Amino acid sequence: MTRRLSRETLIKWAPLLVLLALVIFFTALNPTFFSLRNFARIAIASAPALMVAVGVTFIIVMGSIDLSMEGTISLTAVAFAFIFAQFGGSLGGMGWIAIPLVLVLGGAIGLLNGIVHVKLRIPSFMASLAMGFVGTGAAILLTGGDIVKVSDAAFRGLLTVRWLGFPLMVYIAAFFLFVAWFIQTHTTLGRNFYAVGGGEDLAHASGLNVTRVRVTGFALAGVFYAIAAILVVARIGQAESVTGSNFMFVSITSVVVGGVALWGGIGGVWNALVGVLIVGVIDNGMVVIGLPDFVQDGVLGLLVIVAVVLSTDRKMVSFVK
Amino acid sequence: MSTFIKDFIERETVSRRNFLLATAAGLGAVAAPGLLGRGAAHAALTDPAIAWSYRDRASAYWNSVIAGGEAFVESLGKPKSALVSLINEGSTEKSLADIKAFLAKNNGNCAIACDANDSPNARPVVEAVQAAGAYISTIWNKTDDLHPWDFGDNYVSHMTWSDEQPAEQTARILFEAMGGEGGVVHLGGIAANNPAVERLNGLKNALKDFPNIELLDAQPADWDTQKGAALMASFLTRYGDKIKGVHCANDNIAYGVIEALRAEGIEDMPIVAYDGNPEAVQMVMDGQLLATVFTNPHWGGGISAALAYHAAIGSFKPSEEPKEHREFYGPSILVTAKDAAEFKAKYLDSVPVYDWKDFWGPSNGQIQYKA
Repeated sequence: MTRRLSRETLIKWAPLLVLLALVIFFTALNPTFFSLRNFARIAIASAPALMVAVGVTFIIVMGSIDLSMEGTISLTAVAFAFIFAQFGGSLGGMGWIAIPLVLVLGGAIGLLNGIVHVKLRIPSFMASLAMGFVGTGAAILLTGGDIVKVSDAAFRGLLTVRWLGFPLMVYIAAFFLFVAWFIQTHTTLGRNFYAVGGGEDLAHASGLNVTRVRVTGFALAGVFYAIAAILVVARIGQAESVTGSNFMFVSITSVVVGGVALWGGIGGVWNALVGVLIVGVIDNGMVVIGLPDFVQDGVLGLLVIVAVVLSTDRKMVSFVK
Repeated sequence: MSTFIKDFIERETVSRRNFLLATAAGLGAVAAPGLLGRGAAHAALTDPAIAWSYRDRASAYWNSVIAGGEAFVESLGKPKSALVSLINEGSTEKSLADIKAFLAKNNGNCAIACDANDSPNARPVVEAVQAAGAYISTIWNKTDDLHPWDFGDNYVSHMTWSDEQPAEQTARILFEAMGGEGGVVHLGGIAANNPAVERLNGLKNALKDFPNIELLDAQPADWDTQKGAALMASFLTRYGDKIKGVHCANDNIAYGVIEALRAEGIEDMPIVAYDGNPEAVQMVMDGQLLATVFTNPHWGGGISAALAYHAAIGSFKPSEEPKEHREFYGPSILVTAKDAAEFKAKYLDSVPVYDWKDFWGPSNGQIQYKA
């Protein structure tokens, strides 16, 4: 019994150990890696990715998958930039209205995503992928391929104003991480995600409205994608139809590396945080230690496999598909 | 159950037969204009259908190319919709299939402008166009052994842009702003892309004349703003204050670099970019960028369609033109602080009205191949 417990404990903490090992590794090769300014740089790059990863964590915990993030982020980022400009283009004025509106838009896209998945009985993989394409298409339609700039100094303060060495956007991301943690552990909805992911038939037989839980989960994920979109705009000061590019790979990789099982029911938002930091540290560290660019992609792939091997408990899984 | 299987087999047989018939019809449609078109190729076409085959609508670059194509068809007194967009979405197969379908639909009575998406695809595209008796001008992608003059009149012209020289010029401007000494980093495009290679080579050429400038690092940022920002932040950790200047492979990367530096409170870093997008030109005017390079995609889009169209209606005979009129470089215009305002007024605030019969005026000499 104690041996079994210690193995579980080890696997539970493995992602964090991987993260610490990586930090020690990169620091040993280049001590400047271990500095507050570099950690702030990693945090800036990771903040939007963290919001996406947290959103998709809820879906993966349910045993589904959501691939709509790229389209949703592009569309909500572009919508944010346009609405922000429409209301005066200043956070000091009426521009703040864009923020709640865009969060609602993100939620609506997620809701639609969930309804398509559940009501039309299309696998979440396909439904969300298709919805992502629709989002990207809508973003192209809105922008006509152009870049929309957001240069309001107050809004850009999310990037330029620092507190204890970290920009404000990092604290915003941390705040919503806590919100996600609260939803996960202190609400019925959060517990229901695990019930559905752990055994959908059982949850259904126990009288749980699985359909509603799924649809709500996708809507919630959509809200988090919208938060990510706003943070991206804060980070680079512009929105365009490719703003969401690359977030699918980064977020799914992070969530899995962080120890959330793709078969559902295992892991949570802290795993998403550790996973995002692992990917962020690898991305930054490879440049900082001067790894040639042509081996970086290969090394990233290898480290992902190693991290998954170490941080997920595959002994209890009867088959892997 | 047995009726189900019977039905299934029947349905499959029918659909296979339909498929074969459809294939035969499709092949016939492609071949027929070819047979008829041979003779027609020598005579000029009348009122050919005009098409532009290109990648996508999601970039300022292609939008500008198509705007140029539309300006050309409007100069003929036709509506914008007279220019047919064949969008390949980055698929070589779709590029070729769309062009074949367009040729078949119009019986070869076509003038086509095209970026073949990848170099090997240019040959089958040009061969299909010649077989149908239509006319084509290409830009960017073709293999070095494919030449317009090997296809009589039907392959009218090929235009591309040489980025090495302009990238070298921006590097020189950068080094001079750095006072001729210190470290520089290069953030490149997708490593295997030809423009990415040429733009880095341009930087390296300029380095030879500046012995006190050190190229600290050159890594790909995949033409992308967010990758540019993340890579620049990592460079700052690795090289810190040693970085005295930044050479970017395109404007999008430069936007990311500027934001990564803004996050650190660094405002006065010398930076150069490439592409001449409106936002970048504004940044040159505001002093955030030292220079960018404009390749005039609007003119490129219009003139490629114009060349194919005028060759088709017999305004000129391509085979009687010299080689530098069949394969040539497009224009590259350096935009720096002292001419940015003038440039913006001339090219961006109002699109210039081009003479679409001045085919080679703004071009930049015959294409040279490296041995």
